[in-house]
Amino acid sequence: MRIGIIGFHALPLTYDIEMTREESVFEAAKGALEAAGIEREDIDAVVSASSDYYDGRTISNSMLIGATGAYLKDETKAEEDGLFAVLYAIQRLRTYHRTALVVAHTHSWTFNPHKVSTFMLDPLFDRQNELLNDITLAALQANAYMHAYKVSEEDVALVALKNLRNASRNPLAYRRLSGITLEEVMSSEVYSSPIRELTMAPCCDGAAAVVLAREDVIRESSIDDPIWIEGVGAATDRYIRDRNLLEMESLSIAAKKAYAMAGVTDPLTQIDFAEVTERFAYQELMIYEALGLCQKGRGKYLIRSGFTERDGDFPVNMSGGAAGGDAIIATGLYRLIEAVKLLKNGAGERALVHSQWGLLAQKNIVFVLGRE
Amino acid sequence: MKRVAIIGCGQTKHGIRTDVNQAEMVSEAVWKAIEDAGIGIEDVEAFAVGNMQGFGGIAHAEMLFADYIGAYGKPVQRVATGGTVGGSVAQLAYYQVASGMFDVVVAVAWEKHRDSAEPGATTGLLHVMFANYSYMLKKGMSMRTYAMLGMAGAAAGISAYQAAQYMAKSGCKIDHFDMVAAKARRNAAKNEYAHLKWPNCKPEDIAKTEMLIWPMRFGHVCPASEGASAIVLASEDAVKRLKPERPIAWILGVAAYADEEADQGESYQGTGVLDYSAQLGCILSAKRAYERAKITEPRKEVDMAEIYQPFPHQELMFSECLGFFDEGTAWKAVEEGITEIDGKFPICPSGGVNATNAIGSSGLQRVLECALQIMKKAKNHQVPKDVRVAVAHAWGGQVQFNTVTVLGCDPLR
Repeated sequence: MRIGIIGFHALPLTYDIEMTREESVFEAAKGALEAAGIEREDIDAVVSASSDYYDGRTISNSMLIGATGAYLKDETKAEEDGLFAVLYAIQRLRTYHRTALVVAHTHSWTFNPHKVSTFMLDPLFDRQNELLNDITLAALQANAYMHAYKVSEEDVALVALKNLRNASRNPLAYRRLSGITLEEVMSSEVYSSPIRELTMAPCCDGAAAVVLAREDVIRESSIDDPIWIEGVGAATDRYIRDRNLLEMESLSIAAKKAYAMAGVTDPLTQIDFAEVTERFAYQELMIYEALGLCQKGRGKYLIRSGFTERDGDFPVNMSGGAAGGDAIIATGLYRLIEAVKLLKNGAGERALVHSQWGLLAQKNIVFVLGRE
Repeated sequence: MKRVAIIGCGQTKHGIRTDVNQAEMVSEAVWKAIEDAGIGIEDVEAFAVGNMQGFGGIAHAEMLFADYIGAYGKPVQRVATGGTVGGSVAQLAYYQVASGMFDVVVAVAWEKHRDSAEPGATTGLLHVMFANYSYMLKKGMSMRTYAMLGMAGAAAGISAYQAAQYMAKSGCKIDHFDMVAAKARRNAAKNEYAHLKWPNCKPEDIAKTEMLIWPMRFGHVCPASEGASAIVLASEDAVKRLKPERPIAWILGVAAYADEEADQGESYQGTGVLDYSAQLGCILSAKRAYERAKITEPRKEVDMAEIYQPFPHQELMFSECLGFFDEGTAWKAVEEGITEIDGKFPICPSGGVNATNAIGSSGLQRVLECALQIMKKAKNHQVPKDVRVAVAHAWGGQVQFNTVTVLGCDPLR
């Protein structure tokens, strides 16, 4: 049974948003229902995505029931990236439900997301040495990867430059730096070498929602131009200490599953573009490799040759990706919504959407979307 | 939609677990369940996990021990919904299999409070709305109003209001709460995994304990336990293929309808629930779960229930919402001994949440205990009557979430 996306809405990414959590979630949910042309009464299931840590409160969905429209509805909360909530909604639609609403949000001003990353560390040793957090871990991985495959700082900066240029054209993006240059990226402040301010995604506030429906419901109500979910795959890696940091193995596994489900044998020719979650610019090179766009260690050639630029053969992050603003839990939904918009605007027939979760992308999820 | 069976159950000893860390405790439950199912880890295709992460002070703890539980390279989906989290994990696993996306899935839920030096970053029911209250105080809400919102007692505080409201509506007495609590402790004494055990506990013993907040005595309150529960779920095809040569239990229907939080509607929707014992969400969840399970007369068709009752009045209140007794009459059934292990309609023969409350684990444990009763594997607390259909319930959120899971010895017709 195929599942289609029939409505979506995302708030512009910002920082220090002048709205409460409930207000922004309500805006997103209401906007998505309006875009789908349906009422709250037409929704069978609501799956929200938020986290007690990022929200800085116990049972983060408890006071969002009114805002998500879940009052007296079959409701639950996925406590991780919004794309996992979409996966759960798909599972519900394939069982009982006809339509589902997925809402995800993070307000980064509530609880510093970088601080939350330290709570993901093993509390018995890794947390107590007070050296590790998501940025220093990324620096360790970036150094290892760049050393192993002779990737230069310029290669990484090129990724950031591409994404920042794309983000500057995206009205939803938080970090819009028009006329950004390679020199500016390479001379931006060092947070933890080689991670710089502009080679890292900025945490910000955002909320996004999508409405999903079963194929029979979409046909019945003759909704025009739904975007279909053709494939989905997810996988988990080991904890940071116990895995090969030179590759994103769980992403390779997730991508293979999604390709198999969508009948994709050659992503480069059968998929037109991708929207991926790169919390750090170097990660995008590793993502190219894990998605099978090139061989291990060769991601640098894709960025050097302009292959993944917006006018390249396989554009990646035409929206700017996470470099344009990272609303943590909502970021996966922002990528999904950007891909849906691009498909609807004729950027291609098939798109790949990726998001990650955990320290150094321990968990990954991949969707393949199609127009028909 | 595929039919789904529980083919294996595993739980750890619940209580104060300073002897293991979170990874060891959770993997113990997972591997026991896999062994109980008689399958290998290679048969497991995906995981459903959940706990209340702030209570233990580790964010997304399953990521630390993904490979301990055999989840490396496999999808792990996480849910968290407060007290209902275990029930939500069971339902997530049900949907994972029923949707046809996976054939064999492990569901695991747990709680452990002691590994991290930073537990309590988001602890307790007070922190559910603390952010909103600070916002309201900033906007000029008086301290008097703040105090009158009455949430300072957290879970026990709000449940005391609920108990009082239930007493006023049903006419039951504190004595009945003593009876329910004593039954929970007695039943727990027969359950090797339970926390608060008190063989031959009598209502008079509970009545001697201190009154904490009227109408709740110390003896009425659940303990803060640590422990993990895990179940293995399989599709009908997988059951045929794996041929578990032991009894299995089928999941017939699930539902989880969310109500408005029990408060003054200050999260802007303005529908604030004032009667915390009304539990419309539970009534709706039960109605829909029975519909999905093709049960038309729960009183005739259901044989026993595991109800989420951290406080004794909740066993009475929810057993009415779930349709087992008329509104306001459950206390009479307790007087008559109907809900005892050997009664006509046993409720919480395991001792329930009142005797063992490892938050994350509790909801899943209800499902697991129902499965054990159907499989006739509950050992000392096995009910004497033949269990063909059982109902597992969990409660959570700001007294507004309910999960209802219907299990049976035969697959859904």
